[in-house]
Amino acid sequence: MTDPKQRITEAEAIEQAKQGHEAAFETLYQLHKRRVYSLCLRMVSNPAQAEDLAQEAFLQLFRKIGTFRGESAFSTWLHRMTVNVVLMQLRKKGLPVVSLEETLEAEDEAPRKEFGTEDARLTGSIDRLQLQRAIDRLPPGYRTVFVLHDVEGFEHNEIAQIVGCSIGNSKSQLHKARLKLRDYLKFMRAEKAKTG
Amino acid sequence: MTCSEVERVLPELVDGAPDGAFPADFELHVKSCPACSDLLSDLKLIADQARDLAASEEPAPRVWVRIAAQLREEGIIRDAESRPVLVPVSPRRRWTSTAWWLAPVAACLLAAGAYVVSHKPVPQVASRVSTPAVTTPTPENSVMKAAADSTKAAAVASATRPIPAAQSPSRKFAAPADVVASAAKPTVEPQPSAEDQQFLSVVSTRAPSMRATYEDQLQKVNANIREVQAYLVRYPGDADARQQLLDAYQQKALLYQIALDRIQ
Repeated sequence: MTDPKQRITEAEAIEQAKQGHEAAFETLYQLHKRRVYSLCLRMVSNPAQAEDLAQEAFLQLFRKIGTFRGESAFSTWLHRMTVNVVLMQLRKKGLPVVSLEETLEAEDEAPRKEFGTEDARLTGSIDRLQLQRAIDRLPPGYRTVFVLHDVEGFEHNEIAQIVGCSIGNSKSQLHKARLKLRDYLKFMRAEKAKTG
Repeated sequence: MTCSEVERVLPELVDGAPDGAFPADFELHVKSCPACSDLLSDLKLIADQARDLAASEEPAPRVWVRIAAQLREEGIIRDAESRPVLVPVSPRRRWTSTAWWLAPVAACLLAAGAYVVSHKPVPQVASRVSTPAVTTPTPENSVMKAAADSTKAAAVASATRPIPAAQSPSRKFAAPADVVASAAKPTVEPQPSAEDQQFLSVVSTRAPSMRATYEDQLQKVNANIREVQAYLVRYPGDADARQQLLDAYQQKALLYQIALDRIQ
């Protein structure tokens, strides 16, 4: 927000933005910039690209602000638009949005025991930077579903609709993503423990 | 009940299944099997911690600058009376005596960040020349300290993205050789630095309505810098974290630059 004296509600900002007032656009931007940018960054793991995508998402939103009628929450509208912008970018680059795998593979079924019983569990909280780095390492398909579900809170039926896969596929991808993250995080912890 | 059977339904367990959704021997297995118990615990932890990442990142101020410029170009922004906060509204003008130091400080922040990214983790070497203690935050002392950092960092190649920083003034204030510090890590004050305090003081004088916003932005970017620096203390060789620190420095430098353009 800018000058405290000029604070307005989101609903007021939307109406003023429809009239072309810059301060209103900025208010809407300030309210939602972190959510939009974070989503983009989690999906593409590149700050410069995430900035471009966030910029594009807001531009698309602001160009269409005149059509917003308030049937759904503004944030939901923006959120969905951001996801579409990111997925379009991923598809343009030829990156897989989700894997075509439908079911768990045999080798993924057994619980993992690579790191010994003494350090078998991720105890306590996970370092945020390490979790971010682990997410960045995920294959694009796994990362998309993980970010949409666990980070952004979309349900599987919504993810299936957004990315064009089945609900079962979405669940399968999410589970594999979590398993991979667990492996990455344990590996990182083991490496850090070695280097002290 | 086997571990394989348990893992098939793990996603439902992690995301919360209604009571009685699974047979009793299933829960018994999870409780008695360390591997399954640990796996379930870990996956729940990952899912829980992931939620904290939503809205955890702050975009650089330049994102809004570009958005606003594009909206104006397309005629979507139509009023001439609104006063944007982070958008330069006029071409760069002659610096005044109260704000001339902002540009070299912005350039030095960039140089310091580039130095951090390029610096290889080597054994600490004691500084050969001590930086003059700054007891009073005068423009001259700020420039001297900033110039010392700038000279030390200027020898390192930068891999940063180009950002419009003032180059001529920083060269004008380049320190002589005898004040160049050794290759120690550049310091960033945990409290608002003298430069930050002067910056806010100038903003308060020249554009009081914008002080709250700039102070808020400065606090956020300083907090980000402190967080990544703390991480780097533990993991000094982490290249990703260094890049994040550079990004934070860039953001701070841009904040200075935008303020400079606004208050001229």
